Amino acid sequence: MDFELSSEHLSLKESVASFVKKDHSFDRLRTLRNDPLGYSKEVWKKMAELGWMGLIYPEEYGGLELDFAFVMVLLEEFGRGLLPEPWISNVLLGGNLVLMGGSESQKHEVLPGVVSGDLMITAAYLEDDGRYDINFCATSAEQRGDAYFISGKKIFVLDGLSADRFVVSTRTSGSVADKDGITLFMVSSHDAGVKITPLKTMDGRNACIMELRDVSVSGSNVIGEVGRGYPLLSEAIDQATAGICAEMVGGMKSSLDLTVAYLSERTQFGKPIGTFQTPQHKTADMFIQKELAVSSVYYAIASIDEKTDERALAVSIAKAKCSSAYIEITKAAVQLFGAIGFTNEGDIGFFLRRAKVSEILFGDTDYHLDRYTRLSGY
Amino acid sequence: MKVSYSSDEERFREEVRKWFEENTPPDVKDQTLGGSTLEHDLMFKWHKTLYEKGWISPEFPKEMGGAGFSETEQFIFNYEYSHCGAPRLKTKLVSLGMLAPLLLQHGTKEQQDRFIPDMLSGKTIWCQGFSEPNAGSDLASLNLKAVPEGNYFVLNGQKTWTSMADHADWIFLLVRTDSSGKKQEGISFLLADLKTPGITIRPIEALTDHAPFCEVFFDDVRVPRENLVGKMGEGWKLAGALLQHERLNAFPVGELIYAIETVRKNSEKTIYRGKPLMQDPVFRRKLAALEVDCNSLLYTFFRILSQLKVGSAPGPEASFLKVYGSELYRRVMDLNIEAVGPYGQSWYNLEEFDNSIHQATMGWINSASLTIWGGSSEIQRTVIATQVLKLPRK
Ligand SMILES: Cc1cc2nc3c(=O)[nH]c(=O)nc-3n(C[C@H](O)[C@H](O)[C@H](O)COP(=O)(O)OP(=O)(O)OC[C@H]3O[C@@H](n4cnc5c(N)ncnc54)[C@H](O)[C@@H]3O)c2cc1C
Repeated sequence: MDFELSSEHLSLKESVASFVKKDHSFDRLRTLRNDPLGYSKEVWKKMAELGWMGLIYPEEYGGLELDFAFVMVLLEEFGRGLLPEPWISNVLLGGNLVLMGGSESQKHEVLPGVVSGDLMITAAYLEDDGRYDINFCATSAEQRGDAYFISGKKIFVLDGLSADRFVVSTRTSGSVADKDGITLFMVSSHDAGVKITPLKTMDGRNACIMELRDVSVSGSNVIGEVGRGYPLLSEAIDQATAGICAEMVGGMKSSLDLTVAYLSERTQFGKPIGTFQTPQHKTADMFIQKELAVSSVYYAIASIDEKTDERALAVSIAKAKCSSAYIEITKAAVQLFGAIGFTNEGDIGFFLRRAKVSEILFGDTDYHLDRYTRLSGY
Repeated sequence: MKVSYSSDEERFREEVRKWFEENTPPDVKDQTLGGSTLEHDLMFKWHKTLYEKGWISPEFPKEMGGAGFSETEQFIFNYEYSHCGAPRLKTKLVSLGMLAPLLLQHGTKEQQDRFIPDMLSGKTIWCQGFSEPNAGSDLASLNLKAVPEGNYFVLNGQKTWTSMADHADWIFLLVRTDSSGKKQEGISFLLADLKTPGITIRPIEALTDHAPFCEVFFDDVRVPRENLVGKMGEGWKLAGALLQHERLNAFPVGELIYAIETVRKNSEKTIYRGKPLMQDPVFRRKLAALEVDCNSLLYTFFRILSQLKVGSAPGPEASFLKVYGSELYRRVMDLNIEAVGPYGQSWYNLEEFDNSIHQATMGWINSASLTIWGGSSEIQRTVIATQVLKLPRK
């Protein structure tokens, strides 16, 4: 058992923290909310130059080949400042699927571009009526000759507006909610028959609806084996989920810090409001929730690193815990700021927005509680 | 003990319900839950419709232009109003809901005649200038100075969080006319025309991305003495009386029931694992728990109405209606956004989706303000503990 960060981890932490401080601000978020992309390409490029896109990728594709705990360190700092750049979707979803299931040629075609920050790739897997189930897949891929023809609709494709490539889950056999029979394809945004409808999420980031109408792709675009896409998708999403949990923890820490600072300085009835018992107890509860969330994330990250059988279970525990904790913490924070907390001029409200989106991404509390019961066999 | 309305009350209820069903415009109905993002033009138009019907102010006497409803009828009316999905009318909340009753009790005849008819018709929109940057929960520490000078007061300072100030014509103010004694004692109650030179208004954007409130700056603003309500130094007492008028309607219970019904509709529309989400046992339980709480609150209103009928008006103990109502409302909004699943994260570009998605996301964000304004939950709980339960103060 080792829940401590190494000195290498700590030095990444420091450099990310100083980057977030220097190249990012809440004012940047204010501006980006009105931008369709919701993030900045220059900042993205800088992040790539620091090697962060390649953090966990093998060296042959330009990566640093570090362990998964570095992901936690990086994302926690991103979460502290609410950095909006699409790291999770590119590195842990799109790129990761290619890394885990792709052929050598697919990897060489895609991964160096992800690492350099020049190629944007995400995964499209959620559908109407499936809620958060990643095995729910009505999008079909029909084989005709050498090619497959894909038709269907994917919703809330994370960072889908800027993506050049999409790893799309399709059904090549079985019925709509089966785990077998799902095939992953790489599709380009400019393939004929692809329609992208831009969306903005509550926290100002981008997503899209992707409609595919008889989109023709060759068999060489299959990622992994035909009909065996689900285990790949499931593992990538677990890693992304653990990643967002780490980001949520960063957000919880900042929310608590900002609140404590505000309560110490805001005076009502002649005293700092932090001297009143109710705000004290509320912040104490925030602290407790944050501590529990941190531990659940450590466990999930370690399970991924060690490739234990518990991965999925640990991820569901972490996501269920982080979702409820982050929402509770940010709600309390906004409340304790009073009216200024309810404005776009105050910073704390950004965390409430982000908490809601993070809660929903990769499945909300109930979804993960339900998954937990199934994985635990009761 | 009796659980049903009398036949007269039932008839009244039918009439009101039918009228709202038939006359509430679709672009007013089903607007964002939480009620505060209805476009102003639509709000004014709807105000006018109600005014022409004679229903703009259920509690006012008929001869004053109100509807003259009894307490029970008012409750029924307000319930049916929000239950049809019509949002709170910000054009009347502070004017007819707070200021007019105060003027009837404490204003001069001239003030009543001059201001109340225009509040009813919607010709003059009012806003409430109480809070200041350093006077929120601790309202009595307010600092906007009003110095008597001949027939005028000269005002310098600032108000903040003033709802609708950018759409209002007049503002009622708590100002400091004396800072020598206890802080509650030097406060006076003034009415000011927002077009008076020296007033600057700056809208503040909320988490809804709308600007429901503003900062209002006063720079040598001259307000005629005749706009003083009550006596100099009586402002704190008047403010207390004014806030009492929020009492029963502090949280419209019809709005809660409407919100619950919205959750139910959404959970019937959302398909999960091949079935409506409504059939998911966990979701059903959560919804049932909220309905139990909503109904208990509704019955509490019935009980208070019965007390009012026999003339024993609730005092500070009614504080709990606001705390509980607003917190319950937030829980309903939590479940509502949960009901729409992945769509709950959306914000802009909502033309793609139907209005229920917009309602879910906006209503959820908006509900965060309910536990802050009008006496935050923390402050209200202190009121219950010290004034109702008589726990010792520090
Ligand atoms: C949407 C909205 C509309 C509004 N409209 C108006 C309006 O039209 N006119 C107007 O005058 N005002 C308006 N307000 C202001 C509102 O009345 C104040 O926000 C409220 O009084 C709280 O004050 P504050 O925001 O300064 O918070 P603060 O008083 O700074 O409080 C911050 C936090 O500390 C807590 N706290 C403070 N003191 C104590 C204590 N002694 N014990 C325990 N906890 C404490 C509070 O509960 C809160 O959680 C509006 C506010 C909102 C959000």
